[in-house]
Amino acid sequence: MVELRIKKVWVDRKVEADDFTRQLLDRLAGRPVEVVDSAEPVRETVRLSSDPVGESKQHLFITAQPSFIRPCPCTPGCLGCGYWTIDLDLNCPFDCSYCILQDYLGLQPLTVAVNREQLRGELEEFIRQGRSGLIRLGTGELADSLALDGLTQNSAFLMDIFRGREKLWLELKSKSGWTQSLRLLAPAENVVLAWSLNPQVVIDYEEKGTASLEERLQAAAEAVRQGHRVGFHFDPIIHYQGWREDYAQVVESIFRRIPLEAIAWVSLGSLRFPPGLLSLARRRFPESQIYEHEFIRSAEGKYRYPRPLRQWLYKEMAGMFAEFGAEGRLYLCMESVEVWQEFLDKIKRGRRNFAFPFPWQC
Amino acid sequence: MVYKIIRLTDLNLEDNRFHFTLNPSDRRLLRSVSEIGVMQPVIVILRQNRPVLIDGWRRVEAARSCGLEQLPVLEIAEKTDDLAVFLLAFFENYGQRPFSLAEKSLAIRKFHDFELHPAEIIGRILPLLELPPERWMFELMLEVSQLEKRFLETIHHRDWKPVAVELLMKFTPAERDWLFSLLEKLTHGQQREVMERLYSLKRKTGKSLDQLAREERLAGLIARVLKGERAAVDDLLTVLRRVSSPLISRLNQAIAEEIRQIGLPERVRLDYDPSLEKRVLRLTLEAAEQGDLKRAVDSLADSLERGYWKRLFQLLGYEGE
Ligand code: SF4
Repeated sequence: MVELRIKKVWVDRKVEADDFTRQLLDRLAGRPVEVVDSAEPVRETVRLSSDPVGESKQHLFITAQPSFIRPCPCTPGCLGCGYWTIDLDLNCPFDCSYCILQDYLGLQPLTVAVNREQLRGELEEFIRQGRSGLIRLGTGELADSLALDGLTQNSAFLMDIFRGREKLWLELKSKSGWTQSLRLLAPAENVVLAWSLNPQVVIDYEEKGTASLEERLQAAAEAVRQGHRVGFHFDPIIHYQGWREDYAQVVESIFRRIPLEAIAWVSLGSLRFPPGLLSLARRRFPESQIYEHEFIRSAEGKYRYPRPLRQWLYKEMAGMFAEFGAEGRLYLCMESVEVWQEFLDKIKRGRRNFAFPFPWQC
Repeated sequence: MVYKIIRLTDLNLEDNRFHFTLNPSDRRLLRSVSEIGVMQPVIVILRQNRPVLIDGWRRVEAARSCGLEQLPVLEIAEKTDDLAVFLLAFFENYGQRPFSLAEKSLAIRKFHDFELHPAEIIGRILPLLELPPERWMFELMLEVSQLEKRFLETIHHRDWKPVAVELLMKFTPAERDWLFSLLEKLTHGQQREVMERLYSLKRKTGKSLDQLAREERLAGLIARVLKGERAAVDDLLTVLRRVSSPLISRLNQAIAEEIRQIGLPERVRLDYDPSLEKRVLRLTLEAAEQGDLKRAVDSLADSLERGYWKRLFQLLGYEGE
């Protein structure tokens, strides 16, 4: 994993005097700092770079967010998994060729919200709204949950406010390795530390700056040793010649280190992207081959692998997990009802529960 | 600004430092100029003691074609620097019509050459031109402005969008030359698709365009397209689609063959989603009387027994590479 590289820190004037801002600036000592009225001057700077997306990952904007909790938008026409996002940070210092944030965030710099205390109230309100069943929330949709944790220690803060709230499950999803901040976390029943996994060859070519597969697995194993629940995400699964062997090895290496009981869930999703990402990613990653695969344009306009291939990828992956008795932990991310149905019929032998698969709910 | 009448021959038309528009004079303008001459003065500035045209290229061209000897002009103060003059030329045209991407690139090149700071061009001019205000776009436009005139004219007349132009610029100059001779034979929609598919193929295979064009599956078709055979364009697109979408093409071919084998009864229509996202068939049957209905149902029942439908459903539900 590469070191966090921040060229400049920009402070939103409205949080200039905030205690947390001061703490962050202390931790970032030595970097140039500028106080601004909004993120616009940061964007103006970033857009002058030949690689504005890459540049946006090297400027840190300290600000406050009006609110944090949002329903995960999923994709129209796909079966949602009832996930909620907590957008404490925006953007990510890692640089995955397939990352939709490149297109989605519109040159938003790395953004840290210092008014996180407000989340406590939002969470109370969220609970008061009386949602039924178990609800999953996570910070890993518009950012990597742990990439800036060394700086913000958001994981400890989040753990603290989620601890004891049985109905709410927090997921911290990352492509980083074991971090100092994780070392200090006392486990909680309803908190899952999750790692996105891919074969090392995919990490080498497509996930720049992230931890190696080995580092991620070691981190997960360490988390389990410390008593945490863990989760895994195979999303996006990348199809290439030899993919099956590579992914089977990854699955096998999970179970060499992690007992099944410690795994809360595993998601499967295949490469998909909005059209705007195609030219942008080809420009930014001229060596990447993933955009030259066979795709269909789905009804909502995204590029996806064709359904016959997606279904096969999921079936094969499920087979790999079944060898370890773990197929019950699987769920699909952003898939059509049709693909879900096939998946459940074949893989889970007729289980019709479309909700996310806490094993104890089956 | 001073109003004057000058001799057309006094204009230094060799000096086109302020020229960035590409519309040639049209017939209506020619008619009007031949009837009443040029009424609206063109804008000029003195450079090395000769008037240089700032705005009014179409009018001047029409005046020359009609053999006019004199021209009304508005002369800008000579001390005005080139950048300020070009800003005037730019905004004079800006309000009149949207610029093509080729014209936008030429305007950006001029701003750059007149030393407007890149940050100004990116932050101020690109948004005016409805282009993303980012450096890569600025750099792309500078590159486009240096294409040969025939390329610029195609981009201009066919109203190419930035994505298509960006794609074009990803080919080497030699490849572009060849590609253009092919693109000239295609419609606007076909141009983009052919470029996209060839570019993707090039990236996927690591081959040059020249190597790809010499491959057996493409060479004959490309030669026919270059000769101007319209039917060959569709064939070329079919082959390119098949190459970039092998799985879906293969399944669709097999499905078409199964449907042919079934031999659908008259007035029965079968539809399915060719992208194979949905794996259901839709059968529509038209019957004017009970006999029609019976014949169709019997025929379908018969084909069901012969196992064709089973294979068809297997193909629709196929899972694999
Ligand atoms: S780790 Fe996640 S958020 Fe970060 S660049 Fe990769 S895909 Fe994007």
